[in-house]
Amino acid sequence: MIPAFFTMNMSFDEYHLIFPRIIISLLIILAVVIVIQKIIKMIRKKEKRSFSFRFFSENYDAMKFYGTLLLLLLYPLALGLIGFLPASILFMFAITVLYAGNFNKKTIIVSISNSLLASIAVWYVFGRLFEITLP
Amino acid sequence: MLAFEIITPTTILLCFLGVFIGIIMGAIPGMTATMAIAIFLPLTYVLEMVDSIGLLIGLYVGGISGGLVPAILLNIPGTPSSLCTTFDGYPMTQKGEGEKALKIGITASIIGGFFSLTILYLFAPFLASIAIDFSSVDKFLIIVFALTIIASITKGGLLAGIFSGILGIFISLIGRFPDNNEMRLMPPGLEEQLVYGFSLLPVLIGLFAIGQILQEAEDGMKPATHQKKDLNKPKQGKKFSLKIFNGQYINIIRSSFLGTFIGMLPGVGGSAASITAYSQTKSFSKHPERMGTGEPEGIISSESANNGLIGGALIPLLTLGIPGDSTTAILIGAFLLQGIEIGPLFISSNPDLWSGIIISLVIANIVMFVLMFFSIKYFAKIVFIPKHIIFPIIIIMCVVGSYAINNGVMFDVWTLLIFGLLGYIFPKIGIQIAPFLIGFILGMEAEKYFIDSLKGSGGDLSVFFTQGPIAIVLWILIIGSLAYAIVDNQKSKKNQAST
Repeated sequence: MIPAFFTMNMSFDEYHLIFPRIIISLLIILAVVIVIQKIIKMIRKKEKRSFSFRFFSENYDAMKFYGTLLLLLLYPLALGLIGFLPASILFMFAITVLYAGNFNKKTIIVSISNSLLASIAVWYVFGRLFEITLP
Repeated sequence: MLAFEIITPTTILLCFLGVFIGIIMGAIPGMTATMAIAIFLPLTYVLEMVDSIGLLIGLYVGGISGGLVPAILLNIPGTPSSLCTTFDGYPMTQKGEGEKALKIGITASIIGGFFSLTILYLFAPFLASIAIDFSSVDKFLIIVFALTIIASITKGGLLAGIFSGILGIFISLIGRFPDNNEMRLMPPGLEEQLVYGFSLLPVLIGLFAIGQILQEAEDGMKPATHQKKDLNKPKQGKKFSLKIFNGQYINIIRSSFLGTFIGMLPGVGGSAASITAYSQTKSFSKHPERMGTGEPEGIISSESANNGLIGGALIPLLTLGIPGDSTTAILIGAFLLQGIEIGPLFISSNPDLWSGIIISLVIANIVMFVLMFFSIKYFAKIVFIPKHIIFPIIIIMCVVGSYAINNGVMFDVWTLLIFGLLGYIFPKIGIQIAPFLIGFILGMEAEKYFIDSLKGSGGDLSVFFTQGPIAIVLWILIIGSLAYAIVDNQKSKKNQAST
């Protein structure tokens, strides 16, 4: 006789739930074990330092990081509103200036040429030559 | 020759182009072969299957090989797999032998490439013919093995690795289960967009490319120190000659073999191949004390191993449908785009495509060698392109690629951004990208085989232990990989304690 523990109830209506349930249980078990391990480690070290978790590296560049996030969020929205070419050129100009980190003449020229060249090249090669749907 | 009936001039041209772009992307620190393939994958949508394979294989070979340029010249590995090339490559540059070191690396690369190609060609059809008889139970266990081995090898703890893999499976389950068309795990409000779950490609590109860019943005996009300093003209040191390779035959074969073998292990990437080969070369070397001071031996071992990886990584992909590393994981996307199923039947039912892959590998390796050997001076300049020019272009390509992959779905662009953010956050909270990705790719398959196995047994779970010799071998492998991880973990803890 096979112990009942090793048998699963298989009904057609529930096929889609069997595996996810197992996976979720495994995730929870592992998460608990990992947390317990971390706590044991902390106790063993006798809390030489209190819980210190640093998400950002030291001296992280807040402007470039949040700037990138913001621009990445705005870009798809702009694509829907004003179309591929204008949105891409604006986006690339903004992000190139952001990354170059200054606003002098040389940066502006580089940004403009980079955004124009790259956007038009992508538009032409993907959109016209290969007829891929562009946003 | 039959070859020219399969391969067209377009294929060769695209392969050439792929290698060229691959070398450039591999040479830019922070950009990897994986990223190169991910960005160009959407483009293959409009190509013939053989042509797209030519392009992608070219990118793969070029991307892995290009990494040696900054590794040797600047002490920065262009891709993770050329990590060990820096140990002996950079000291040679400091001695004014940069060009010689580059040429040694290139030559070792092509040898490693051809070695692994031969193994792929001979071994894959054989493995596939065995794999045809695998049952659902065996296939499920292979996927479990793929996950345990990758979790056991990645740094950062076995438990965290397994957790990452299972989390990947969890994400992949979102959507409709094909057997009974029921939805599960749906975030409210997104039922329409997520019927088929998240698309593979935006997830991949997001995790790798966008995640990397966010990380660089956090670090301030600073020009790496090398971009400020001028590379002094290499003094005319000793010239490169094939004589350097005298007495290195065993080293080359051992390193290429290790690279190929490690490539075959599911989910284990290039840096592991190069590190293993390098440490083996060191322990077998006649002058281990000289390793790391500019010995050609070290470059040869690292570079032949990382190119050996390519053929190896393709073996589980083409015979079992399980990717050998994150780069081949993206290649799955290419086959999916063309509606070709990868698995044990792939080689026998697509003989033309199989030859196409082999021929593309041959061409890519030759092109890589010729391009790099004769124009290495120009490729060396690539490492000086500033990031603020390259990264915006990459972002645009990623967005266009994600949007185009399913013929214009805006939700895929949001998927790209969501997973880009996750790709940035995950490493910081201890979740590893590689096992997560493998879990995500294989999750649906794992579920299918799991349910199929249980259907066969009427819900009896013991079917996973009692089903024939293959299952038993797989259980031994699974337990072995876990045991290895635990022992290895203890060892490194002891080492830490003693120092």
